[in-house]
Amino acid sequence: MSEQAPLLSLNSLSREIKKRKILDNISFDFLAGKTYTIIGPSGAGKSSLLRLINRLDEPTDGTVLLNGKPAREYKPEHLRCQIGFLFQTPHLFEKTISDNLLFANRSLSIDEQKHLLEIVQINASRLHEPVPKLSVGEKQRVALARLLATKPLVALLDEPTSALDPSITEAIEQTIKEIINLTNLTVIMVTHNPDQALRMGGESLLLVDGKLIETGHVEHVINNPSTQLGRQYRSRDLL
Amino acid sequence: MSYSVLSTPLLSILATTTSDKMVSPNLTQVGYSALLVLISIAISRFWKLPVAKDMAIGSVRTFAQLVAVGYALKIIFDIDSAWLIALVLIIMTLVGAHAASGSVREIRKSFPILFLAMSIGSLITIGLMSLLVIPFQASYIIPLGGMIISNSMNAAALSLTRLGADLSQQKLAVESALALGKTWQVATRSIVRESARTGMISILNFMKTVGIVALPGAMTGMILAGAEPLDAVYLQIIVAYMLLMAVTLTSIIAVAIAIRRFFTSYHQLIETDN
Ligand SMILES: Nc1ncnc2c1ncn2[C@@H]1O[C@H](COP(=O)(O)OP(=O)(O)O)[C@@H](O)[C@H]1O
Ligand SMILES: [Mg+2]
Repeated sequence: MSEQAPLLSLNSLSREIKKRKILDNISFDFLAGKTYTIIGPSGAGKSSLLRLINRLDEPTDGTVLLNGKPAREYKPEHLRCQIGFLFQTPHLFEKTISDNLLFANRSLSIDEQKHLLEIVQINASRLHEPVPKLSVGEKQRVALARLLATKPLVALLDEPTSALDPSITEAIEQTIKEIINLTNLTVIMVTHNPDQALRMGGESLLLVDGKLIETGHVEHVINNPSTQLGRQYRSRDLL
Repeated sequence: MSYSVLSTPLLSILATTTSDKMVSPNLTQVGYSALLVLISIAISRFWKLPVAKDMAIGSVRTFAQLVAVGYALKIIFDIDSAWLIALVLIIMTLVGAHAASGSVREIRKSFPILFLAMSIGSLITIGLMSLLVIPFQASYIIPLGGMIISNSMNAAALSLTRLGADLSQQKLAVESALALGKTWQVATRSIVRESARTGMISILNFMKTVGIVALPGAMTGMILAGAEPLDAVYLQIIVAYMLLMAVTLTSIIAVAIAIRRFFTSYHQLIETDN
């Protein structure tokens, strides 16, 4: 394996809320173009970790480096355009699909907007459809397209299918994989479902109670964990 | 929301006309009018409405508070010093800001914001008024100032309440915009506009229906005091325009100051745990 400089590094990240450590000393390097899943029981701190990476929250301790430069040294607008964030329940503005894409990036041409829709597998002819008319799954696709509109290097996806009907979960997973293929995006996806992590492939981080318990290839983290907590998670004791 | 201030009896002071129509009631007449209170209490008793005590206390308070204000105003008007006017206006603003901060539960420690916004909004309005139309005399500035300040107070309280409520209800929308690389100014644009507008709704409604639904207090006071109806109308128009400006300034300033509390310098929405 060649030594590749990490795209994104977390150095001893901690976050305390009211004297309680919801994230405790997290360190990890993310490499460009790879796929990562963050797994762990509910309340483990998965969403909180994504918020620190996108800097919607301030870490109590530690640093995030993007391309070797501390996140704090980027302008917030610039940092967040490079590190896109899809919330667990995404919020679209109640206008057209096109308005939502243009809100993220005013300079997108019509062709670029249509191209984004193709990537998320929505027919480009629907660009001017009003958002409230879309199905939940379609809204999620538009939210993904809007995230791509700022041309990010990293996409943070917080349980992108948890609000969806199981029947469309795999279709959205396919779309995310398609995005990865087409754009060479680094994806960090949170899921509370180990099977989904296995389907996504790549590397996995197991968080339990704010601590990073296991890291490595997803198969290894889920099926062959090296720690007691990892084995407990595998046997579903922690779910 | 009622425009109680518009019906303040202070306004009749503005009527300086001394025509023979002028009503100037004395204590005996006030005594007779107390009969109306007794009738109200009797009716409530008969219907077993649990309000008799409140009515009695309320009527005594009305008498005591207004007589006290009457004597205070008489003294202030007689002295008629700029310092005293300023002092009275400041006290009114302090009391108003304090009362309003109690009603704004959505934003903690809102007193300084309210006080600053009300001071700036009222000061500019009163300043312009006394430069352009109203003589800088206690008998004009204090009643008008009272109206301006209490309307500013209501406007600022409503605006801040709306702002706090919207920011917590629309947290997801705001953070979605932040996460897309927008500044907090952009992310909160529509919330800020709506909140500022909320403070202006009552004066806008008032101006739409004034004279049609009810005769406003300033006008009523002047007419009762014997002024020509048209004079009363002109004064009322001035009062309405004045309140419009005060309310506009105060709402916008209150929202503009308060919103900063919700964001860090790195454009992060601060968790507000009320
Ligand atoms: N704003 C907050 N205030 C207080 N506690 C919080 C806040 N955000 C998260 N937490 C707590 O931090 C822990 C981790 O939450 P979260 O990151 O949402 O977990 P996950 O996404 O893994 O389910 C939980 O115990 C949660 O209650
Ligand atoms: Mg979560």
